[in-house]
Amino acid sequence: MYAVAAMREPTFLILTALADGPRHGYGIVQEVRVLSGGRTSLLTGTLYTALDRLTAEGLIEPDREEEVDGRTRRYYRLRSAGLAALTAETARLRQLATAAETRLRAVRPETA
Amino acid sequence: MTGPLARRYRRLLFAYPRAYRRARGDELVGALLDAAAPGLRRPSAREAANLVRHGLRARLGRPASRTVVTWAVLAAVISGLFAAAFAARAGWQTARPLPRAAEARAMLAEILPEQEFADLEDAPALFIIYGSPLSLRSTRDLLLGDGGEYAQAGVAGSAPLPPMTDPAVIVDQARQNLRAHGWTVYRPIFHEVYGCAGPPCDPTTIPRSTTIVAGRGDTTFTLEVTPTDSYNPGRISGGFQRATPAAVYPLAVAGGLAGAVVAFLLFGWASRRTQGRHPARAVVKTLLGIALFLWWAPALLALPTMAWHTIDEPHPSWHPMWEWLGQPVFSLFFLLGCGAALLSLALAALPSRDREPLPAHT
Repeated sequence: MYAVAAMREPTFLILTALADGPRHGYGIVQEVRVLSGGRTSLLTGTLYTALDRLTAEGLIEPDREEEVDGRTRRYYRLRSAGLAALTAETARLRQLATAAETRLRAVRPETA
Repeated sequence: MTGPLARRYRRLLFAYPRAYRRARGDELVGALLDAAAPGLRRPSAREAANLVRHGLRARLGRPASRTVVTWAVLAAVISGLFAAAFAARAGWQTARPLPRAAEARAMLAEILPEQEFADLEDAPALFIIYGSPLSLRSTRDLLLGDGGEYAQAGVAGSAPLPPMTDPAVIVDQARQNLRAHGWTVYRPIFHEVYGCAGPPCDPTTIPRSTTIVAGRGDTTFTLEVTPTDSYNPGRISGGFQRATPAAVYPLAVAGGLAGAVVAFLLFGWASRRTQGRHPARAVVKTLLGIALFLWWAPALLALPTMAWHTIDEPHPSWHPMWEWLGQPVFSLFFLLGCGAALLSLALAALPSRDREPLPAHT
């Protein structure tokens, strides 16, 4: 079982970026930026360290490789363990968000 | 992928291990070029620093480990400190020989002209153990508990404290003459000549010796005046030592950096080699842990003690760097640690059971 409590936001965003299908490195960077509303901009070195870690943890795996304009692109896809970890983390975040909403509604009914 | 920007990215990828570059280099450069703004000619400082940082992380292998970086830093720092200490010892070779006995006697006559100092002898070397320079014969003393006897040599003599003389008078005269002859004189240090033997004991009745230290150029001077008490006649001791030579500092910095880099690279190499199904994986880790303990423990014991001693008493010249690392008092620990580290590296060199020891996505 993946330690969902220890999942950091960039890891969550990378796994989310791969949830709807395989993406290559720069594709993940772009998707993470969109998903985070521009708050998280992964540098390439950081991304590849994270990809290596997630691969070693068995959450993702390399998919296919292609050449575009002479540039090598390797795609990555979620493994079933990655999908389970993302699902668990999403549930945990939803539970937290729901709890926070409930409290806010009690305190400030007009804004929550 | 051969433009100037790609070439610059490839240069930065030298921070990554070679096998990683071979397996992933094209992919990384491709992603970097994809992410680069149009017209960009060179990587930004932030991007370059990020690649170097993560390249160094990749050198440690074990991408899922959350502790490997800590272990690598521990190994690199202590190795750098020991390398710096060895380089500092080499730097000490640039020190002038100690003053000869005749020269020391002449300097003592300037400081305390009315006292006749005896027992002045030429020093055999800058550092001695039990009165002799370090040699193979002193190995036993050095390793088996008497390493603390390896210390800076000095040229020293002593004279009886004249009867009915207040030690403070001698100290004041010495301070005055030292200043007159260009010495920088530090505040006096007082030590009780003996401790309380048991109650009743009034600490104010215990006689105190006074020590003053001074520095001039590459020479340091220590004078200790012990008052007469019920058991012993008063004495004046004065001695000269060499101050740390200027070459010690750059050599220690360069040696320390080189040692830390080499240790980091060796640690990374061993870590990558043993990350898969390696026959000696557990033994390599255990031996490394033993080596780090044997190196760090004396240093952690000695560092606060030396720091307190240096703050507590004035020092015209600080103690040599190796003493801050608990050496050579714990030289046996150091040597055993070296043995464990070398054995660990030798075992890491054994072939892995994996066909591909790196997480290369091929």
